[in-house]
Amino acid sequence: MKIMPCPLNGPRPIQEFTCGGEVVATPNPDRADAETWADYLFLHHNAAGIVREWWYHVPTSFWFIADRNTVTDEIVRTFLPRELFRPDAQRDQP
Amino acid sequence: MPLGLLKYGLRPRRPPDRFLPPRPELKRAYDTVIIGGGGHGLAAAYYLAVDHGITDVAVLDKGYLGGGNTGRNTAIVRANYLTEDGVRFYAESLDLWRGLSGELDFNLQYSERGHLTLAHADSAIRTMRWRAEVNKHLGVDSELIFPDEIARLVPGLDLSSDVRHPVLAALYHPPGATARHDAVVWAYAARAAARGVELHSDTEVTGIEVEGGRVTGVETSRGTISCNRVLQAVAGQSSLVSGMAGFRLPIHTVPLQACVSLPLKPWLDPIVVSGSLHVYIWQSARGEVVIGGATDPYGLYANRSTLEFAEGTLLPVLELFPFLANVKMLRQWAGMCDMTPDFSPVMGVTPVENLYIDAGWGTWGFKATPVCGKRMAELIATGRTPDLLQPFRLSRFAEFEQVGEKGAASVGH
Amino acid sequence: MTEPRSPIDDAVRAAGAVVGEHAGVTAVTDYGDPEAEIAASRRLGLADLSPLARVGFRGPGAREWLAARGVELPDEPNRARVQPDGSIAIARSWTEALVLGALRGADSVCDRLEAGAADGHRVRAYSLPRFDGMFWFALTGASAVDCLAKLCGVDMRESAFPVGSVAQTSLARLNAVIVRVDLGDMPVFHLLGDSASAEYAWASLLDAMQEFDGRPVGLRALHALAREFE
Ligand SMILES: Cc1cc2nc3c(=O)[nH]c(=O)nc-3n(C[C@H](O)[C@H](O)[C@H](O)COP(=O)(O)OP(=O)(O)OC[C@H]3O[C@@H](n4cnc5c(N)ncnc54)[C@H](O)[C@@H]3O)c2cc1C
Repeated sequence: MKIMPCPLNGPRPIQEFTCGGEVVATPNPDRADAETWADYLFLHHNAAGIVREWWYHVPTSFWFIADRNTVTDEIVRTFLPRELFRPDAQRDQP
Repeated sequence: MPLGLLKYGLRPRRPPDRFLPPRPELKRAYDTVIIGGGGHGLAAAYYLAVDHGITDVAVLDKGYLGGGNTGRNTAIVRANYLTEDGVRFYAESLDLWRGLSGELDFNLQYSERGHLTLAHADSAIRTMRWRAEVNKHLGVDSELIFPDEIARLVPGLDLSSDVRHPVLAALYHPPGATARHDAVVWAYAARAAARGVELHSDTEVTGIEVEGGRVTGVETSRGTISCNRVLQAVAGQSSLVSGMAGFRLPIHTVPLQACVSLPLKPWLDPIVVSGSLHVYIWQSARGEVVIGGATDPYGLYANRSTLEFAEGTLLPVLELFPFLANVKMLRQWAGMCDMTPDFSPVMGVTPVENLYIDAGWGTWGFKATPVCGKRMAELIATGRTPDLLQPFRLSRFAEFEQVGEKGAASVGH
Repeated sequence: MTEPRSPIDDAVRAAGAVVGEHAGVTAVTDYGDPEAEIAASRRLGLADLSPLARVGFRGPGAREWLAARGVELPDEPNRARVQPDGSIAIARSWTEALVLGALRGADSVCDRLEAGAADGHRVRAYSLPRFDGMFWFALTGASAVDCLAKLCGVDMRESAFPVGSVAQTSLARLNAVIVRVDLGDMPVFHLLGDSASAEYAWASLLDAMQEFDGRPVGLRALHALAREFE
């Protein structure tokens, strides 16, 4: 069984979680042109190696960030989003 | 007695004919390089040679031919999709499949056994009616059927109403078929090679050379090759290869697993799919019960199997076929799937001139092997995107013109 | 106005539950044999506490706002603290709380918090109604830990999950909150989850309890045990 270390709930079976995709900057929806928006919506880095992703613990509706190796299936580190995002930051500034 | 036969008889050793030629030396230049020796890459090579007379072609694979998803898939062929673009495309593939064993002079064990997608909810029935109508409109045989007829087609299926997800109806697609996946690889490879195409296994592409927006060659683990045109057909590795040419794809690589049981006596004729229970099942000519399910819950570049898949997939199978409870499983494996947001493939031109892409085949690309090979060969040979491929162009995402086929995916994802 | 009903009202009545008022709460008082239910609770009992009060709060100001109203949350998330009036304050995260009303007596604290909830918006503390949305069961007795091991991946043994621990996890494949707050020396696990799945959870628990000779018990038995430990 694969164990995910959740910053709120501690080590848990990975089935309790949903992957929310790569951490990328959200363009400002009022200012972004169609190409930028399509890029944000659809294109992925899809890297082989260590990636940074949003993860969600379903029983607690809790979002956090994980650095994970997509080749070895190892979780390197998990942490709270506030390490990267200031609570009141602009949407398009990570 | 012919002299040749006499000489043959006197020879101390008589090696059998090679089915595939030995791997040749890698030349410094080819007209066309195909990255990926799966069914798709090999089919494209075959049709380039046969339909267009282009034979200065090298197919490069980092492993062995057919060792990717073509050798790992559950071999289901069908055309009962949801969109007109999808149905039209997959219907042409069915036509090609029917004549393929003859054309390639190789028994592909193409077996039209019928395909049932079970509906366990009103909402599913609604989608199936829709699919049946779109299918019939485009000349593809599909019909909504109900438990009396399902019972006749699938003996042993639990059709009682006191289960958690009772079977209410099914989308029945009589031309649904299976084929011997390895044979497809061997046959396309052998017939392409017979026309001069070079097959290079154990040759990994590590870089793509682009000059002035145009592809000029590829770097490989066995040296650099210059070429006029490149086709990438590498399934789960698509983003890595396109990354070498400097562009990103609407693709996320996720493992898909499957398993087979020990052989049983023949009992199950058609293919049975349940989107709500996330499983599908059919019985191979060897008697093995082939079982597949939904993709893994998160992305990975690894072909590892998990216990969670076995548990999560086999339990619902027992809801459908309780009598399988004591059957032993034989093998379990995985492949890396190139999933797209609209569950349709990506075929056609790319931002790099003369670099063509055949990707985004996710969990559904085996059935498209012949049509995709044929039409991609046409595109490479003529430089014009065939109408059939137009809806699947890479630029459809930036144009917000997706081809939504999630509703026709075999199981929910 | 009709009495609020438990989401498993039909199921417990079909199992012979007597529903009535006891110590200020309308709930399942017993299943016809309160004495046997006291013994069963010590072994392995399952009580439906869904008719009892509960309320949640969330927001950066939730902790402070609750403290100002006399509810002391534990400092760390995933901990529970019994309040002087017998209610239980649970920290579900740094910014979310769940308050379970006392077993005995018409609840006052949850009603009081809910009535004043609009005032919390001032400090960004927002109430989350939990009465209709969540079932609340209590699994009691010496075999509760072994029984939970069949349904849940988290280690519930006392060494790993002492009194006051909270696990928000998957129970019988449902999202659930599991809180350990014993009655004296009798282990008690409070189980809360989505009320739409309450019947399934109840049936799954009873099924898992069979091998330990567990059974459903009423509030009367729990009250008797609570008095005993006072
Ligand atoms: C478990 C499973 C079940 C499936 N079931 C079905 C089904 O029932 N029906 C259906 O239609 N589809 C199914 N699919 C999907 C189907 O298998 C694929 O879409 C299809 O086989 C893709 O064929 P391909 O030739 O494009 O890719 P592949 O067969 O994967 O070939 C790609 C090749 O590219 C090579 N390669 C990768 N990177 C490089 C590089 N850098 N250099 C050189 N070579 C490289 C790989 O080694 C590989 O051999 C299933 C897939 C899986 C995993």
